[in-house]
Amino acid sequence: MIPNTGTGVIAVAAFTSVLAAALLLYGYIRQTDEFRREILAATGVSTVALVAAHTYLTYQFVVGDYTNAYVWENSADYLPLLYRLTGPYASHEGSILFWATLTSFVATWTVYSSKFDGKGSRLAQSITMAIVAWFAVMLTTQSPFIPIETVFDGVSEGFVPPDGDGLNPLLVDPYMAIHPPITFAAYALLILPFALGVTHFVSLFRGEETVYDDWLTSNVAWLRVSWILLTAAIALGGIWAYRVLGWGGFWSWDPVETAVLVPWLALTAALHATNRYDKTREYPVFAPAAAGFVFPLVVYATVVVRSDVFRSVHSFSAGGIGVGIMSMMVVTVAIAVGLPFAYWFLKTEGGGRPDDEPWFSRRTVYHSAVLAFGALGFVAAWGLTFPVIRSAATGVEVSVGTDYYNLWSYPVVLVGLLLGGTYAVLDTGRRRLALAATVGVALLTFVAAFVAPSSNWILTSTEPYDPVYYRLVGGMSVLSVVPPAAYFYGAWIGRYFSRIRGIPSRSFRLRETGVLLLHIGGVVLIIAVSFVYLFSTSASVAVIGVESAGENPEPLVQEFSDEEYEVHVLSYEAVDVPTIDEAARTPAELLEVDSEADLVRGEITETGTLDGTDVARLDDSSVWLAGEGVEFEDGVEVIARGTVFENDDPDMQAFVFTDQPNMGTVDDPPEGVYTPRVVSHEMELEVYENGELVADGVVANQDYLEHDMQTNDVIIERAIRGDTYVRGTYNAGTAEVTVETYPLANQIWIATLLMLLGMVVLTVADNRFRE
Amino acid sequence: MTPRKILTVFFFALVLLLGYYSMNAAPVISDHSYTYQGGVEWHEDPDEAYEIAQEEDKPVLVYYWTTWCTYCDDYDSDHYRDDEIRDALDEYVLLAVNLDEPGPASGLVQEHEANYPPQHVVTTPYGDEVTRIGGYADEETLLNELRQHTDDS
Repeated sequence: MIPNTGTGVIAVAAFTSVLAAALLLYGYIRQTDEFRREILAATGVSTVALVAAHTYLTYQFVVGDYTNAYVWENSADYLPLLYRLTGPYASHEGSILFWATLTSFVATWTVYSSKFDGKGSRLAQSITMAIVAWFAVMLTTQSPFIPIETVFDGVSEGFVPPDGDGLNPLLVDPYMAIHPPITFAAYALLILPFALGVTHFVSLFRGEETVYDDWLTSNVAWLRVSWILLTAAIALGGIWAYRVLGWGGFWSWDPVETAVLVPWLALTAALHATNRYDKTREYPVFAPAAAGFVFPLVVYATVVVRSDVFRSVHSFSAGGIGVGIMSMMVVTVAIAVGLPFAYWFLKTEGGGRPDDEPWFSRRTVYHSAVLAFGALGFVAAWGLTFPVIRSAATGVEVSVGTDYYNLWSYPVVLVGLLLGGTYAVLDTGRRRLALAATVGVALLTFVAAFVAPSSNWILTSTEPYDPVYYRLVGGMSVLSVVPPAAYFYGAWIGRYFSRIRGIPSRSFRLRETGVLLLHIGGVVLIIAVSFVYLFSTSASVAVIGVESAGENPEPLVQEFSDEEYEVHVLSYEAVDVPTIDEAARTPAELLEVDSEADLVRGEITETGTLDGTDVARLDDSSVWLAGEGVEFEDGVEVIARGTVFENDDPDMQAFVFTDQPNMGTVDDPPEGVYTPRVVSHEMELEVYENGELVADGVVANQDYLEHDMQTNDVIIERAIRGDTYVRGTYNAGTAEVTVETYPLANQIWIATLLMLLGMVVLTVADNRFRE
Repeated sequence: MTPRKILTVFFFALVLLLGYYSMNAAPVISDHSYTYQGGVEWHEDPDEAYEIAQEEDKPVLVYYWTTWCTYCDDYDSDHYRDDEIRDALDEYVLLAVNLDEPGPASGLVQEHEANYPPQHVVTTPYGDEVTRIGGYADEETLLNELRQHTDDS
């Protein structure tokens, strides 16, 4: 194998994408189609090269080519095929390659598609190709194809590691297998609104005709599809956190969760603004600017996830990131903010809107709602950023916990709901009703903030030394979310029926249904999220001697201290992953790797003595077992562990020096001398609440022996009222069983599905309606 | 100015105010001489902590934490604010190490093989490990452990 084939292929992609971007820019400046053929060829080659590089990396993962350091660091023999296919994006370099590959598809489509026409099209295409080029150049310096001997000192050239180091245990989960492709697909699509936004403002500055209006319909579609993908990605990440992290719940305001929420909020705000521009031509600067700003924000989210600056439970890649992605963030943010701002500051005059616009109008309310999204985005981004600023400026570390995010976001959400409801009523043309309802609901909200049936209803427990704002908002009752949420819910349903009444067009009705589902989903989500944590409960108990469970017909029974729950342990089993059988190599496999000590299996086909040492040939191969006083028996299939010595004799290429305790038959292998990768402690449980069975199944606690890490398989019993969540951790014969309840947990997923369905319906119906 | 412009200006003013207020209201967790977990003063420099421990002949409680660890938040908001636990902590010289930025304590992190938060390690004034509580322990367990090892010494 040529070690740097992969990096070479990436270099081809880098060269051709730079070439394509440069030629497209030249074509834009000179307004010429002179190099059309070369551009098409370079674009095509760069995409093919990136696909080839990604495919090659995936191939290395599938076959377990651990001579590549990246593969060694993120895979191992014991992993099933699924996690070898997902291995390429388990860490930084590979995920950038994956992102680059998806981005190149989108960029190539813009170059090849006949849809992109007009003066600014070559600039937009050049920008998309420039982003691909940036990734590709970055990957040539931070390649996922570095040979292991280059990365690790003391590894000799040509060394073939016997096994990989393994994938981060937290990523061994099916949800983590699909989360990254969806996320990166959303990220890749967002280069289109970015390119279009930049092109639009450059065209305005140059006094050219802008293509923004021509491409508006497409832009709306790209934004919507990105929104669907990004929403799904965040939801899948939440499901993963719930299942795997356990203690983090769905959402813990971890830096990466917060970071990805920022572009999601911006995207939602951009969709609202673009929708408004589409209908009324309001937001001529803000709509293209907001849509273009989402891509820089996803780069920002990547910096947060991957950098050393923002510590997180999700910091998968050790060692931080290179300047590549950091400088991409700086450049894209500068362009996406600078151009629209400069245009707004220098070129727009007066705005052209009448000064006597009323305060209580659809336009003002809508604008306020868009600003509310901005405020939520600011709270999230600021919470990530200011500790870094303060630490850098003063050396003082401050804590930004869930209280910061929850308590600053909560009032904004209440105001947002109120505005959303008001807008929906105003949209039906009933201004006086809207005014009365808004005032009434605001008053009700204020009163509800003081009504707390129990201490659970209070947003957070505060101390007298907490700042006054935290004490004020933290002391509010969560009941305060009900009046504005109910108002929002009712108003949007009212608006729906008022809009579709008398309109026969099915596409229009379907479109309005999509809009309704989106808003209903949103409000259900807000209610469920507000309640789930405040009313969650947790109780745990230690069960001693679980190893004996299953030996008797009667289960081990342990009552919780509050006497509400009782756990029955029906069985316990410790499962080795891989089993000694799976881990032992065949003679052929042994010869392929360089290991000092290894497990080998095979049938003894010849025995003899060599220099006073007993030897036994395995499977008629050139691999022999050796040992003094070891009883080798012809025809027996054995598993043996021992020190490997390689030899030049073609008939005796390797000897595995073993002894009696390290050897056994396949039916009775030497388990005692074998250390697996993972020991999975599996316990079959039944949990009773006041005598009634509330959850049953198998909980498991995986111990990753080499990495000193643990993961859990939990039981989640779903019900309309909420989830019962059971987790068990095993330690030296004792199991700690924790039972948690999450009321309204399923409403979170239902709400997310409603929103996704709404956006799909809206996108499909809107396209048909436009036609 | 149209209402929308006034609203936008108001929005930016509000955002600035929010930013300024929230930055100053955030609780300080470390000022590079002490860490303030749960409102208690923890040393950050092992040399300093062990010097004091030897002078006062007290055991040292080493607490490994990170900013993103939710169990550490629980320790911070519940355990260390409990009066009984605070009394028990008084019998120790306290040393808190942020695993992401161990600074002068990086040697200690290796010695204790502390590779995940939260962890508590009790040592003698001379640094010999007495016991450790890996991961999360409820208030009662923590209190019992803390009391047990001050009784021993």
